Amino acid sequence: MPRPLWSGSISFGLVNVPVVMFSAARDLGVRFNQLHAKDGARIETRRYCAEEDKEVPFEEIGRAFDLDDGKTVVVTDEELQEVAPRRTRTIDIEAFADLAAIDPIYFDHPYFLAPIGDSDGTRRAYQLLVEAMDRDEQVAIGRFVMRTKEYLVAIQVRDERLALTTMRWGDEIRSTKGIDTGGKKPAKAQLDQAVALIEALGTEWEPEAWDDRHRARLEDVIERKRKGQTIKAPAQEREEPSPVPDLMAALEKSLAEAGSGKKKAAPRKEKAEARDGELADLSREELYERAQEEDVPGRSSMSKGELIDALEG
Amino acid sequence: MPRSLWNGTITFGVIAVPVKLYTATESRTVRFREVHLADEGKIEHRRFCSKEEKEVPYDEVVKGHEVREGEFVVLEKEEIEAAAGDRAKIIELESFVEATAIDPVFYEKTYYVGAGDAGTDAYRLLHDALGATGRAGLGRFTFHNREYLVAVRPLDGILGLHTMRFADELVPGKDIDFSAPSRKPAEKEIEMARKLVDSLHEEYDPGKRTDSYREAVLEMIERKASGKKPRKAKEKPPEETPDLMAALEASLAGKK
Repeated sequence: MPRPLWSGSISFGLVNVPVVMFSAARDLGVRFNQLHAKDGARIETRRYCAEEDKEVPFEEIGRAFDLDDGKTVVVTDEELQEVAPRRTRTIDIEAFADLAAIDPIYFDHPYFLAPIGDSDGTRRAYQLLVEAMDRDEQVAIGRFVMRTKEYLVAIQVRDERLALTTMRWGDEIRSTKGIDTGGKKPAKAQLDQAVALIEALGTEWEPEAWDDRHRARLEDVIERKRKGQTIKAPAQEREEPSPVPDLMAALEKSLAEAGSGKKKAAPRKEKAEARDGELADLSREELYERAQEEDVPGRSSMSKGELIDALEG
Repeated sequence: MPRSLWNGTITFGVIAVPVKLYTATESRTVRFREVHLADEGKIEHRRFCSKEEKEVPYDEVVKGHEVREGEFVVLEKEEIEAAAGDRAKIIELESFVEATAIDPVFYEKTYYVGAGDAGTDAYRLLHDALGATGRAGLGRFTFHNREYLVAVRPLDGILGLHTMRFADELVPGKDIDFSAPSRKPAEKEIEMARKLVDSLHEEYDPGKRTDSYREAVLEMIERKASGKKPRKAKEKPPEETPDLMAALEASLAGKK
């Protein structure tokens, strides 16, 4: 069970349910530590008071806010909490809205809420919220305060649990003014062709079909480095394609390719061929090193392409 | 005119769409800096070598990944770059999915995508065709040495690009474990709760709600600056509901 990030209660009308909050997203990215190059020892960050040039324990650190007139105000956590004591303890549901009415630009971080305590009544009240809110395409809108920040949240039912997503405030979304909206409106025939192309490349949303290739590559680089290999960034880069002069002709060509299955509509799963996909990115030297590792016969006279073939085989 | 973060090309089929990327969101949370309470001195974060007990200049710091307890593999900047993948500035839209089929949990960060200097008709065509189909284009995008899965869709007259979480980064509901109540809520209770849900339904307007806590924090700071005592809010957190049915009835009555 993950660690709860917040505890309080969710309040719906006069129904009030004690809950704890867990993150519904985990960072699986490869983690790095800062090390001292010389001796490989871990780097520690220490807080120093610049005035006294002395290390300061955590309890002696406060929060300062600089006003425009140069004055500084130091506030404590208690003062921040007292500004809105209810909201630091309670997620108030204010309204319900259609999920489709909320643009994804507003969504920030997902969480789960779980009932807390041994009370059967609490779990029953939680279950009641789940049953009442488990309706398609609808979310509850609420707000609460966590660690000195107020969050606007959307709550819906996922996996039979209350799932909360924090949202950005209206004034945290920038204006699109001044951003180039492109050229002229497409002619109907062109639009029809483009729609046909998009439909031809249409698939179901299958999130599991997309893997984090970056994570896999980083893990591979670490493994190779561990074995003492040298790793170089790929030198070649694909060139950016130029805009086509004749959109209609390009649409027809694209449609023909999409129809013939030459262009795969489904996302390319890379896990199995992760190494193969990368081989093409390696220099001949690096390929040769790998060939040495795998003891490929005749490797010294092979071209880059032959090395790739041999390593793939 | 906003400044673009990245210039590149989106492709669909054999069509190339030159684009520029812009920041779309910004946090407005009140920011504080750390100070030493005793003398309001600035707090500095200094790097120390845990072995030598000595401060370490930044150029002597390297990045290491712990492969086993205490065993690190150090990666140079170039080696980390090697994992970035295709650094070409191309986002190939590989497939198109119903935009409404994507659960909110997948969306991470949003950028605005504007037309580039050339091929602006292709930009408009992609925008209009995505709008007509209700689909979002999916592809991969390398930005600052990291590859992302992204969804591209129409947004406020231009295109929006969302970086997406990968499926295995989402915690499955079953990991959040708790026992079921001994007795399920009664049909009557559920019915009343649904009535309450319906009575609270509204047309969503993101501009309607503002961060009133942010305003209250700023006001408290102002009061402190002018030597006044901060105002204490008088609200009390609510207590646990002993009688569900009575609470539902009272809530509904309060709505009328």
